[in-house]
Amino acid sequence: MFKEERDSNKFVWDDLGDLEKGRPNLGLTVPVLAYRLLQYTFRDVMITEFGVQKANEIIIKAGRLAGRQFCENMLNRNLDFGEFVSQLQNVLKEQAIGILRIEKADLENMRFTLTVAEDLDCSGLPPTDEVTCQYDEGFIAGIMEAYAGKSFIVKEIDCWASGDRLCRFDVRLQEDTE
Amino acid sequence: MIEKFTEKLVILLQGNIPEKIDTCKITDERELNLANMLNQLIAFVHEIHDFIIPLSKGELAEIKISPKNFFGSPFKELHSRLLHLTWQANQVANGDYSQRVDFMGDFSEAFNNMIVSLDNNEKLLKKKIDELEGALSHIIKLEGILPICSFCKKIRMEGTDPEDQTNWLQIEGYISERTEAQFSHSVCPKCMKKYYPDY
Repeated sequence: MFKEERDSNKFVWDDLGDLEKGRPNLGLTVPVLAYRLLQYTFRDVMITEFGVQKANEIIIKAGRLAGRQFCENMLNRNLDFGEFVSQLQNVLKEQAIGILRIEKADLENMRFTLTVAEDLDCSGLPPTDEVTCQYDEGFIAGIMEAYAGKSFIVKEIDCWASGDRLCRFDVRLQEDTE
Repeated sequence: MIEKFTEKLVILLQGNIPEKIDTCKITDERELNLANMLNQLIAFVHEIHDFIIPLSKGELAEIKISPKNFFGSPFKELHSRLLHLTWQANQVANGDYSQRVDFMGDFSEAFNNMIVSLDNNEKLLKKKIDELEGALSHIIKLEGILPICSFCKKIRMEGTDPEDQTNWLQIEGYISERTEAQFSHSVCPKCMKKYYPDY
């Protein structure tokens, strides 16, 4: 299941296991530090092994896969955009992933600007002049793809780690960037 | 040099933006360092000043505060929240009552209560309109000129032969068939005297 060689992704939601059965005493949540420890050590090793650019590509791809699965399993995709956003805000809040806010939405051209405050990946990091939320970029793209049925490119344009107090993302159709 | 630095700080403390210090002629390393830092502070305050004035007038233009300007970060956050609220208000205006504001203190509660009230009021209005439309559909309007017999007061059904006596209906039957009105038969005092003089 986790050790098979593969040419395409095999991850499915059920791979997460039965969390209630598996953690009857410790519960379903873990501290943010456990999440960041996992992500930043992975990132560190991947950069060492593959270089920064490849490491970022891998992180974005993983986020995209997670976003698609998250949307397909946690969200109702049959809502119109406003209601879908409202639902997504609620689920991200309930899961303590972040506080999503839409700043601009051009539905005709499918282009959006959104922010995530108290972001799981980076909020509270020391300023480094870098945007660091590549996993979020992929995650948001994956959610939008599963919802809209089209490929999206998401770029972080402001980040807590670059001195801002929130993370801002530009979301646009992949075809518009080609 | 201390006097020059003090002068710049006084201008800042008065709420104005001073010109940056000309560092070309400063030779002392410590003074140069201090001048550079003071210039950076002036630049940061200048950025915030130029950003917050339009924001205070409700202009949500693109943000121009450099990432390392930490004084400006809360204003950038405020700017983002206002952009989001603007989007949400537009959504509500278009009938999307699923929008809710989170983590903005008393404002969240007020905004969310407003949306719930709008939603409830609209549902109530729609219910009333449905009820009224339902009631209207049961009422056949009586309008136009009704042909009525000058003597027996029978009314002729619309578009029928006036020579055929069966087309002439008692007034109460005519109205009852076409409206929700019902008749209860009684006798007025004048007719009582006429038809029942001994009663």
